[in-house]
Amino acid sequence: MSGCHPKAALKGLAGCHTCGKVSPVTLGRCPRCGSHLHLRKPNSIHRTVAFMAAAAALYIPSHILPVMTMVELGTVERHTIIGGMMYFWESGAYPIAIVIFTASILIPFLKIGALAWLCAAATGHTHRKPERLGKLFWFTELLGRWSMIDIFVVGIMVSLVQVGNYMTVTPGPGALAFAGVVILTMFSAMSFEPRLLWDQLDGQSVPEETDCPHETI
Amino acid sequence: MMEGFTRRWRAAQPWPAPRRGPHYSVCHFCDTLHDADRIPEGEAALCARCNAPLYQNRYASLTRASAFSVAALVAIALMHVFPLLIMDAAGMRRSLTLSGAALALIEEQAPILGCFVILFTIVAPLFLALSMLYITFPLLFGVAAPGAKTVARWMYVSEPWNMAEVFLLGVVVSLLKLVKVADVQFGVGFFACAGVMVFLAAAVAGIDREELWDRLEVATE
Repeated sequence: MSGCHPKAALKGLAGCHTCGKVSPVTLGRCPRCGSHLHLRKPNSIHRTVAFMAAAAALYIPSHILPVMTMVELGTVERHTIIGGMMYFWESGAYPIAIVIFTASILIPFLKIGALAWLCAAATGHTHRKPERLGKLFWFTELLGRWSMIDIFVVGIMVSLVQVGNYMTVTPGPGALAFAGVVILTMFSAMSFEPRLLWDQLDGQSVPEETDCPHETI
Repeated sequence: MMEGFTRRWRAAQPWPAPRRGPHYSVCHFCDTLHDADRIPEGEAALCARCNAPLYQNRYASLTRASAFSVAALVAIALMHVFPLLIMDAAGMRRSLTLSGAALALIEEQAPILGCFVILFTIVAPLFLALSMLYITFPLLFGVAAPGAKTVARWMYVSEPWNMAEVFLLGVVVSLLKLVKVADVQFGVGFFACAGVMVFLAAAVAGIDREELWDRLEVATE
């Protein structure tokens, strides 16, 4: 199959990660934009797994710790992300409860799962069609940023709800943990190299360059 | 009439081919090597193996990218001047601005979160709009602005971190959270924020990454 679809890496050509120009990898740097050239992103699996593991570790505290504390006429209420979602569900605002559930609970969870699966497939532990996995990767990159919505809600509430002694809102430690989950999963997805999935299918492995000590994004 | 105008405009500014060949395109998903043939405006080149888009030739790309980045800059200015939400509660009126939300987080012992909000909703959209205009407007006249390549590199690095549209949804959720305890309404800033979202997306989608770099390469030769 790879016979009629020649791989750039086998000819020593690399597509620049920044500008897309195809040049011989021996040049070291892209002649057009100056970025480092790689046949494959360096240490892609290690980086993806490291960011993913850090995100998974933060996922649990982000849902247990309160994301904000509301003081209303002397009574202190601590809100977690799940609590906020339940509040909307119980008050009948189902669409918004579903949005919060999807953005804050489901997407980070699925994203960590998807990245783990992609890494397993890229190292040959599962056999799946790269086309579908490629779509999964694209979808993961696209959706991840929407999880930031809860952080922005905390910021908006803290800024807006400062009504003297009547009602105040302060941010909680869960919000920082949750922001960490979102940002780390974004870095994890950016570190992943989808071409490894196709290398796995073709049974070809591209040697990682050892002569290049520099790291790029 | 319009048809004739756009045809002439297009013919004046076709996607140029950089002189230093050979011209290939590599699929970023499966690494298949393709000959990068010129395609007519409005069409996309797809990977022969995995069907992922390789590059797209957009209609009137430079005009659209620079015009939408000007529109985005205007919307960004409006978004900062006017409040996004206005809340009346307990006889007090409070209004929400973008910088207000970020500064409130910094004052309330969450400086890191405040910095994230500043980066993702203030710095990234502004940088994206400014850099797109800085690159594409001089290119309309076939000139590359000083340092345009460096700016373009950073523009594509910052692109995934622009979260104006996520903030917009956050404003909607906050309004629904507060509507039971206070009288809340959208301000002009909210609609400006919606404009930022649309115009920035249109500006970035207005010109393909490969086309922008090809034009930069030709202009700096």
